Amino acid sequence: MIEAEGLARRYRKGPVVVEALKGVTFGIRKGEFVAIMGRSGSGKSTLLNILGLLDRPDSGSYRLQGVDLSRADDDEVSAARNRTIGFVFQQFHLLERVSALRNVMLPLLYSEENADAGAARAERALQTVELSHRAQHVPSELSGGEQQRVAIARALINDPALILADEPTGNLDAESSAGILDILRRLADAGRTIVLVTHDRDVAARADRLLVLEDGRITADDTIPSSSRRRPADVV
Amino acid sequence: MTRSHRITLDVLASLPAHKQRSILMMLGVAVGVAVLSAVIVISQGTEERIMGLVARHGLDMLMVRSGGEVQVFAPTADRGLTVLLEGDARAIEAEIPNVTMVSVVQNQRDITVVYEDRSVTTRAFGVEPDWMEIRRRDMAEGEFVSETDMAAMSRVVTLGYKVAQVLFPEGGAVGRTVRVANDPYVVKGVFTEMGVNAGGDDWDDRIVVPFTTSSRRLFNRPYLEQLVIRTADARQMADTAARVRALLRVRHSIAAGEEDDFFVREPEDVENAALDTSSTLSLLSLAIAIVALVAGGLVIMNVMLAAVSQRRHEIGLRRALGARASDIQRQFLLESLLVALAGGLVGVVAGIAIASGLAAAEIVDGRVTWVPFVVALVACTVIGLVFGVYPARKAAAVEPATTLRQQTA
Repeated sequence: MIEAEGLARRYRKGPVVVEALKGVTFGIRKGEFVAIMGRSGSGKSTLLNILGLLDRPDSGSYRLQGVDLSRADDDEVSAARNRTIGFVFQQFHLLERVSALRNVMLPLLYSEENADAGAARAERALQTVELSHRAQHVPSELSGGEQQRVAIARALINDPALILADEPTGNLDAESSAGILDILRRLADAGRTIVLVTHDRDVAARADRLLVLEDGRITADDTIPSSSRRRPADVV
Repeated sequence: MTRSHRITLDVLASLPAHKQRSILMMLGVAVGVAVLSAVIVISQGTEERIMGLVARHGLDMLMVRSGGEVQVFAPTADRGLTVLLEGDARAIEAEIPNVTMVSVVQNQRDITVVYEDRSVTTRAFGVEPDWMEIRRRDMAEGEFVSETDMAAMSRVVTLGYKVAQVLFPEGGAVGRTVRVANDPYVVKGVFTEMGVNAGGDDWDDRIVVPFTTSSRRLFNRPYLEQLVIRTADARQMADTAARVRALLRVRHSIAAGEEDDFFVREPEDVENAALDTSSTLSLLSLAIAIVALVAGGLVIMNVMLAAVSQRRHEIGLRRALGARASDIQRQFLLESLLVALAGGLVGVVAGIAIASGLAAAEIVDGRVTWVPFVVALVACTVIGLVFGVYPARKAAAVEPATTLRQQTA
């Protein structure tokens, strides 16, 4: 699904040149639930941007579903993002004065094929995150956890190959966090490929595999024991 | 539904969400369009009034009489001078730019017209088809002489109002055959009643035949009594008259220092002052309107730029979800355009209302046609696009990577 080889990226921050990634290599298979952990400054946001086709590496290669898009034009990359990646952000990023249903339908606006019956697909997505009863509410009427669930439904609507979650529980309380992670776990168990970026060890523990990023390099790549993938409270 | 279709609908649906911003931009455009519309209504009203004056006083018509200035004071005497010819008319038409139409005029009095047992003796005219338009005459019945009549030298005649009354007291003149100087002529039409003019001529006591008929049959001579000339721009009358005079002097081989063998009569120039000031006023108002429109455009541009900055998270999100840079640009440009159109609609209605109100109070002239609507539509489309392009490009250039992550330490 994902093949990253020798990814390197530097950018200018004022007078200084920062080497955010110094040669990152790893692979992710279809259906894996991978957590990428690192402190701020570790390069995880840069890596996330590259994985999400929001940025290109300076050197090395990134292949998503076997395709390297580093030399593709903006139109092609945008289409690939729309088709293959579902984003979940820390700040949710829902459109303010728009209903949950229409928020979920937003990716359809930019889809290649005629997105008729979009509302039906959106309703199914909302069912998956158990939020059908709130479909007509706008974000200001929804709790943090509910908003993030809408975001997940939005990420699912085009049936993407990859879900990319960036600190999805960062703005949520403990109870809502757990709920969101449950949903992600459920999606992973059903076969979705999920990459979750976080700085929180407890959050990372819900995944199948953990990559640790330090100072632009991967310093650990371990499978997480299945006992810790369930909620802490469920462990007997 | 195509992609651009969907994006358009999405923009329409989300415009109400940005009410405050949209209204501000709308107002900016509305003011400019209102000024422009009012200027147009007032200009068209002024134009209409001036056209009316020009027509009523014949301000756009020049007349050339054969014979020099001396002859002017003997209007009813036949002039024996043979210098004015058809070629003069064609030359004036062809060579003088401000001239749009010329008609030759032959006339002679003491022509008898007979129908059954009734007869009149009247003045007969031979003219070309353009004569009716140049002199702004109307037919009460039937038609005027045509090019076909000219080509065929047809024996057709149009009757003055009084002549028709005497010969056909019960009406029905058109189509009947009368005898003009003992030859049969078919009545083609009857003029409307016109009365007696300032010089004492009775317009209703005359008949008119085609010039080819009068020169070859009725009068049997080629030389003319008059030329009547219509000009495009009444303001250039003095210049046009001078050119006609110069042209005729050359054609008639009049040496320098010799008197003209013709007389060029210009219309009264009473209203010329009014014509001049009105055009200056129009230009000034138009300039003001354009400035107001540009100001409206600047309002749009600045409000949109602020909006782009405010909405960078939204832009970043849409890009992350698969929007192309061109989709974002289209979205923002469409927003500018729609707001400009809405503002234009408000503006054109307001501008027309204000100008009409002022016209009703007789403070200015006013005439409402389709022109301000079309101009307003074009103006606000152009404004929306031109002043929306820069913010739209800035929106398209927003990098999603930098806007989506909250910088947490």
